[in-house]
Parts: sequence; structure tokens; C-alpha cells
Amino acid sequence: MTDLAIKLESVTKRYRYFTLDNIDLDVPAGEIMGLIGPNGAGKSTTIRILLGLVHQDSGNVRVLGHRMPAEQIEAKWNIGFASEDMRLYDAMTLGWHMNFMRSLYPKWDEKYAQLLLKRFCLNAEQKIKGLSHGQRVKSMLLLVLARCPRLLVLDEPTTGLDPVARHEILKELTAVMNDEGRSILFSSHNTQDVEQISDRITFIDRGRIIDSMDKETYLDRWRRLRLEVPAGIELHALPGIIDIRQDGRLAVATSNDFVPDLANAYENTGARVQSIENMTLEEIFVANVERSREEVEA
Amino acid sequence: MSRSLVRHLILKDFQMHRTSIVFSIVAGVTGLAILQLKGLPGLLGIIGFFTTLIVLGSMIPNTSILNERKGRNLAFLMSLPISMAEYTTAKVLAALGMFMIPWLVLVGTALSLILGRSDIPHGIIPVTLILVTAPVVGFCVMIAVALVAETEAWVMTATIAVNVAYSFCWVLIVSNAELRGGLGSPTPIWNPTALTVLGSEFAAIAVILAITFYLQSRKKDFV
Repeated sequence: MTDLAIKLESVTKRYRYFTLDNIDLDVPAGEIMGLIGPNGAGKSTTIRILLGLVHQDSGNVRVLGHRMPAEQIEAKWNIGFASEDMRLYDAMTLGWHMNFMRSLYPKWDEKYAQLLLKRFCLNAEQKIKGLSHGQRVKSMLLLVLARCPRLLVLDEPTTGLDPVARHEILKELTAVMNDEGRSILFSSHNTQDVEQISDRITFIDRGRIIDSMDKETYLDRWRRLRLEVPAGIELHALPGIIDIRQDGRLAVATSNDFVPDLANAYENTGARVQSIENMTLEEIFVANVERSREEVEA
Repeated sequence: MSRSLVRHLILKDFQMHRTSIVFSIVAGVTGLAILQLKGLPGLLGIIGFFTTLIVLGSMIPNTSILNERKGRNLAFLMSLPISMAEYTTAKVLAALGMFMIPWLVLVGTALSLILGRSDIPHGIIPVTLILVTAPVVGFCVMIAVALVAETEAWVMTATIAVNVAYSFCWVLIVSNAELRGGLGSPTPIWNPTALTVLGSEFAAIAVILAITFYLQSRKKDFV
């Protein structure tokens, strides 16, 4: 059996205007899981539940083998959490924060912290209030990474960063994964970032997980077919096609389980396949969300 | 409970608020020094002394608890290996420490001044202790509201309510014949009324803190 860093089973959390509905999620140890969803999809609530910061109404949560929220203290020794809306103390310096963390965590790696300080071009003497947004995010990551956690949970860490800062952070996260025992749960609505570093990807929308599989499978299975349709013929969705839009003699079919026979099947209906296009993760995400919403509304 | 972590969190709060603690001690002692003067300056000294205690009592819950939430530092703290119970314990102990250290220094200085001077009747000691304990009760109310309600609006409401309550407290004490009667005595008179009022203040402190821990333990969303 694969070791799981995170296991959520039928987790539900109800708020007045939002429900996280029956979430099942497995993150195997040693993997990077990207959690993609639009704003308000439930990414942050899911993350807060698995950290014990929010208690689920029902369902089971295990993180690094610990039941949450009951065993959150034991679990949090090995979890590094950084969130876009988390702030360090403005009035204190980064050095003060480093000392604070060093005093708490016996596994604090000072050499690595100093290396990250240089790599991220940060100054330990500088007060947090004087740092740019990018520097604040990097400071937060430094404090998280230098404590050597087995699980990194990052809630929209790259939001609002310039491309250079994003690249630096993603590079560091990839480097962290050289230690095979580590796992990362990385939430974002920026599919490019997630695509760059994730092994597996989970899509979440309106409090429900709508799809979850490894990144390569997504990219292999999803295709867009551009078709030329003879006059008077209306194309229908074949098995493996989740969406088909026809405008006169042109049609676009989206497949989430593409096999070459699918193109042949459309050719047999009289249509001509103009092109079969790979889809980007963003396009897959949007198509997935639209399909899910149509299913719910149907 | 991880005592080491709670201790670190308490030390962190002390480190971050040490200027306020020192400043309040200086302000309070200055008030006591002015109180030595006769006439209007003496009255201003009394006002300065109590104002220091009251301001400190409303400032600490704001800066150490509410600002942490407003400044989004709470998620950072709660990502550390602590539970909500430990966070509450650390916050309550740190806040009590940051308030009680200046309080003990100022009240100790005030009592020393009374005891060291023969022209001040020692009969004012029970009423003095009742009056200086009232800001401790108010302070505990503020801690409770800041921790449990977590919003600026509630804390402001509590601040106003507590300050109005001080005025009532003064009026009730001054108008109570039994408490007033012993003021001119050369020795402190611990009559049942004085003991009951002081005991009620300590009981209120214990009840407020117990309710705070109880309500915190029932919370399901912390960040």
C-alpha cells in the first residue's frame, strides 16, 4: 500500500453560503499535488481543514498518519504551511522570525536558511514592513523550508508575484522534492505554476472535487478536435466527448478520453477532421469546470 | 500541552510589547510622583495613575490579540505545532503578565507611598485595592472579548462598556457608607463589605477567564 501524506474521506464543512461537499483526496508521500480551482472553490477551506485550523463537520482527515484535528499538534511538527493571506509580524525583522523558528524547531537547518537567504536575495536585518510582496512570500517560504517539514502545504503562494520571483520559488520547491520522502500540496488558480511542478492535479469547484489524476494523464487524454461538417449534418457527442459546439459547418469537440479511433468515428459520420489539438492545463481546467457546472445545473 | 511552545509564545509577546510595558510603568510612576503634590496636581496624579491602568488594560488585548488577527499573523501562529487551547493559554498568560507586571509595580509603589507617609490615613488601603482591582476585571473582559469575538467592533463595544462600568464602580464605592466610613481610619478596616467587594472582583476575574477558555474550546474555525 502506498504511504499517503494526506487522506481526506467524505469531508464536509458547511457554512451559511458555502459547503465543502464530501471531499475525497489522497496525496501519496513523495508527490506534488496541485489543487486548482477558481476563487471561492474551497481550496483554502480544504487546506485549513487538513491543518486542523478549521474542523470538518463530518468525514475523516489523516495527515502524515495523524487524525485531524485531534492530533494536529503531532502532525504540525512536520507540516510547513504558507498561505497567500498569511503575514509575518510587520514590526519585527526577518532575522527575529528566523530566531523565533529556530527556538521552536529542533530540526531547523541554519545552513539551509542562510543559503535561502542568499538565494532569495533577502536581508535578515530588514523589518517585514519594509519588504515587497515577493520578498514577504520568499521570507515565509524560507521560514517554512528551513524547518525541514515532511509535508509542505502552500495555499496560493505565487499569487501576485512577478515572473522572476515565481520562477525562483517554483525552482526551490522542485529542489525540495529531491528528498523523496517529502510531499507538497500546492493550491493555486494559476494553472501554469501548478503544471510546472505537480505530479498529480486535482480540480475543485464550488466545494466539490470534480477531477483528480496525474498530470501526464490529463495532458494525454484531453484533446480538442476541429471538424468540418457537411451541410445538413448535426454532430453528436460520441463516447469520450464531453462537449461539442457546432456553428454552421464548423464544430469543436472536446474529449477527456481521447483515442485515435474517435477521429475515425467522426470521419465515418461524414465530418472532416481539420485538426486534433493538445490542450493546455488551463483549457482542461476550464472545460472541466464548465462540464461540472452543467452537470450540476442539469 | 507543549509547555515549551506556550512559553515561547509568551516570550514572543513580551518581546514585542516590552516598550508598552516600560512606558506604562513610567507613566504610572510619574502619576504617583505628581500625586505627592498638594491640590490640583495631586488630583491629576490620581487621574494619571488610574488612566495608565485603564489604557494599558484596553491596549494589550488590542495589540497582542486583535492586531494579530487583523494583521493576518494568526494563520502564521496557528501553523505552528500548537492547538487552540495552547494558543489561548499562551495569549491569556502573556496578556495577564504584560498587564500584571506594571500593575504590581504601580500598585506596590502606591501602597508603599501610603504606608510610608504618616499624613495619609491607612484606612484608604481597602478602597484603593478595590479601585485598582477594577481595571484587572475590565482587562479580563477585554481579553475575553478579543479572543472569543475576534472583531474590532466587539472590542470597541467592550472598551466603552468597561470604561462606563469604571465610573459606576467609583460612584458605588464612594457612595457606600461602610466603605467610605473607614477612609479616615489610621489603620485599614477590612469590614465585610470591603472583603465582599474585593472577593467579588477576584471571583469575576476567575469566572471571566474560565468562560473564555470554555468558549474557545467550543470553536471550530480558528483562522
